[in-house]
Amino acid sequence: MKKILISTVLLSSFMAYAGGFRVSLQGVKQLAMAHTSAHVEDASVAFFNPAGMSFIPAKLSIAVGGFGAKSSVTFQSLATLESSKTNNPIGTPVYAAVAYKVLPNVSLGFSFSTPFGSTIEWPYDWAGREIVQRLELKAYYFQPMVSVKLAPWVSFGGSYIYAKGTVDWDKAATQIGGTLNLNAKASGSGFGFGFYFQPDSKLDVSVAYRSPVDVKAKNGLVSFNISQALYTSLGLSSTGTDSFTATLPLVDEFTIGATYKFTPKFLVSADFNYSGWERYNKLTLDFAHAPIGNQTDPTILVSPKNFHNTKTYRIGTQYQISDMIALRAGYYYDESPYTDRNFQAETPSFDSNVFTAGLGFKLYKSFGLDLAGGIAFPKSRNVDNTYNNFIGQAKAKAYYFGLGLSYNAF
Amino acid sequence: MKKILISSLALSALLFTVSCKTDFEQDVSSVVVSKGSADFSKYVSIGNSLTSGYRDGALYIDGQNESFPSMIAGEMRLAGGGDFKQPLMADNLGGIPSVGFGNKLVLAVVNNSLAPIPASGVGTTTLANIFAAGPYQNMGVPGAKSFHLGVAGYGNAAGLSTGQANPYFVRFASSPSASVIGDAVAQKPTFFSLWIGNNDVLSYSTNGGTNSSTSGGVTTFTEAVDQTGNINPATYKSNDISDPNVVAASINGYVNALTANGAKGVLANIPNVTSIPFFTRVPFNPLTQKLIGANVAALNSGLYGPLKQALTAFGAGARINLLSTTTDNPLLIVDISLQNLSAQLTAALTPSLGAPTAAAFGQIYGQARQATAEDLVLLTTSSVIGTTVPGAPASINVNGISYPLANQYILTKTEVAKVLTATAAYNAAIKSIATAKGLAYVDTNAKLIELSTNSGIQYNGVKFTATFVTGGTFSLDGVHLTGRGYGLIANEFLKQINAKYGSTLPMVNINKYSGVKFP
Repeated sequence: MKKILISTVLLSSFMAYAGGFRVSLQGVKQLAMAHTSAHVEDASVAFFNPAGMSFIPAKLSIAVGGFGAKSSVTFQSLATLESSKTNNPIGTPVYAAVAYKVLPNVSLGFSFSTPFGSTIEWPYDWAGREIVQRLELKAYYFQPMVSVKLAPWVSFGGSYIYAKGTVDWDKAATQIGGTLNLNAKASGSGFGFGFYFQPDSKLDVSVAYRSPVDVKAKNGLVSFNISQALYTSLGLSSTGTDSFTATLPLVDEFTIGATYKFTPKFLVSADFNYSGWERYNKLTLDFAHAPIGNQTDPTILVSPKNFHNTKTYRIGTQYQISDMIALRAGYYYDESPYTDRNFQAETPSFDSNVFTAGLGFKLYKSFGLDLAGGIAFPKSRNVDNTYNNFIGQAKAKAYYFGLGLSYNAF
Repeated sequence: MKKILISSLALSALLFTVSCKTDFEQDVSSVVVSKGSADFSKYVSIGNSLTSGYRDGALYIDGQNESFPSMIAGEMRLAGGGDFKQPLMADNLGGIPSVGFGNKLVLAVVNNSLAPIPASGVGTTTLANIFAAGPYQNMGVPGAKSFHLGVAGYGNAAGLSTGQANPYFVRFASSPSASVIGDAVAQKPTFFSLWIGNNDVLSYSTNGGTNSSTSGGVTTFTEAVDQTGNINPATYKSNDISDPNVVAASINGYVNALTANGAKGVLANIPNVTSIPFFTRVPFNPLTQKLIGANVAALNSGLYGPLKQALTAFGAGARINLLSTTTDNPLLIVDISLQNLSAQLTAALTPSLGAPTAAAFGQIYGQARQATAEDLVLLTTSSVIGTTVPGAPASINVNGISYPLANQYILTKTEVAKVLTATAAYNAAIKSIATAKGLAYVDTNAKLIELSTNSGIQYNGVKFTATFVTGGTFSLDGVHLTGRGYGLIANEFLKQINAKYGSTLPMVNINKYSGVKFP
């Protein structure tokens, strides 16, 4: 299982269809209900709210899942009448979580997830090639956590976040007649905490906060594919490389969610997320030698990003048609974290209406299988990036499906 | 329940897609390009090197294929435009050996740094006339001044030796007696671009305000004349500044001929030389401490000090200042607008240096001064600075440092002023002609001024400036543009054409064209 998991992760690459490069795919059951948070059937709640572990109806619970996500973005320029469409690979975000009650009121858990990421692949000669040709961004969250039941109806949980990330960015370097690749590994840490309430058998309320994580790349590698005659003047190594440092913020998220069981078979769940994208106001690349920056120190390149905080509204429902089978559906509205003037071709983002649906099967008493699918309807938008003078229109499509397994023992 | 759920979901999704804008209002593939009130079926471009696609100091095939008129013609094809044939050179070297035209410049590694050098090989272009395969819609003739376009016989090979003809036009003139404008009008263009007048100030500028003549292997330079007030161009020497009325009358005449049958068109003005890297690349003070630091003390005591002392006595002490031991020092230059103090200097220096040496000093420094930020050092002068002047006394024979750079190497402040005044007069005339004839007008001067600012012009994430080589827009000759630079200009033409005639010609993608090529 471990091997399979790791190889899946290594093969995985994600796409940007949630605000910025946040990938809202951390629970198959949750996705089927618009990725709402107040569900404690199994350990998949761990990512959403550590405090939820205290209300899982089992001493030991394990949940794993994976997704396939297909997206495409089209850019067109009304000035030149050129049009380009991405050829993004299918993204495969995954998650795994385990929760265990060491004491009746104390749960320990661990969550592995891939909450941020994006792979965007434009035609290499497209209009925005100087900004990005291909960008692959991945982040893995490793979260050990603990939850304590403060009273039969409320718990408090917290987690430590260790994040690892990689970035692989191809772009044109038009003025020096070639292309360059930025490649870096980065890491950082943060925390999460939350309260989970179950005041009666009909109502669940989840309040959770996950801190920002600034992942720092201390020894990134920039490789130039240009004339060797330029290596010396750019201060590059004999193989045409230089090193750089950079920091990318994986932003914080506040979530409040509630689930209400109208009947034992029928529930409705809703969420509100507030994401701190404001933290990503610029991207600074500090090269060791290459004078390809735009500051007084010519080795520092600062690109304004000017993201703003976003809100996401989610509503989902589940209908239990039998003890074995549950039907689920949901809808959410996700905001893009930037205005037209700050459109970022490397992380294209759209205000999106998303519809989800899914099925849940209880194969044995303690073993569950969940399926989910989603279809996003991103709103087409104007692109008027003033910093790059990159102007046009963009639209996108995205579909995804997920398969999750859960096991509740004892 | 399941059915209801699924069908209601499907229904809401359907309603939603209809009501919410996920698609473009109009996909570019369905955009119909309009010609507005213009007719692009026969577009002819008339002008000089900038129209021909000249770059890197030569006219060659790849450059011609990225000429701004060919870019415009490409967009016009979407709105009824026809073929646009160019008088392509024979190769990508661009040299015409029969008239001594060298190959294009290419970047190469010289002494561990990049420098423009002529491409190797022998150019295969001849002056054999290719009109039979024409006519050619791109009638840009490198080197042509405003009044040249109307000269009958400008393409007559027999006139080459006397400077009455232009080798480039010899190649594609319809007959030895043809004029450029006559051949253009004969094609009955429905639309034309006319961008001419640059060389009326540019040859003066690139030659540092001098004319030259060579006899017996010796080249002598004489002061070129600002001919403002002289309306007979037949009396101009090749690098004189043309009278603005001559330029205006020439262009007005061409426009009358071109519009006689109702053709629409576009005119463009002349960029200031101060926006062009040929004049801005080399600073007035390139004498760094690294370059001359070790010699500063000796230069000050042996030359600059005594010279300043002597000049001060004649009220001209400001011409020379002692060299700094900390900052970059200015070039020593000749400025022929200065009062010639040769005799006075000789007299003053004779007691200390003896008559022969004093006479030499007087002759050399009589109109010498240090350059200031208002003087423009020519790009080509960079290869002269620091070289030894043959025949000069050994102690004062280093060009630009101990020996003043001759007039032809510098466009002095006075000369710059003449050029800018003439340019402004040309531009006022071109604009008023465009207005009077109802033609589109492109302010290329404003665009190149914008390009030459520090912030340059940002385009799809690429920052273009007018900086030599690294700015991406100017080719290796420092005067003409790269494909991307011409793309920038093509878009200005397209914008003004659309604005004037209500057409919707698309812009070109500047980055699609070539820039400076690295080895």
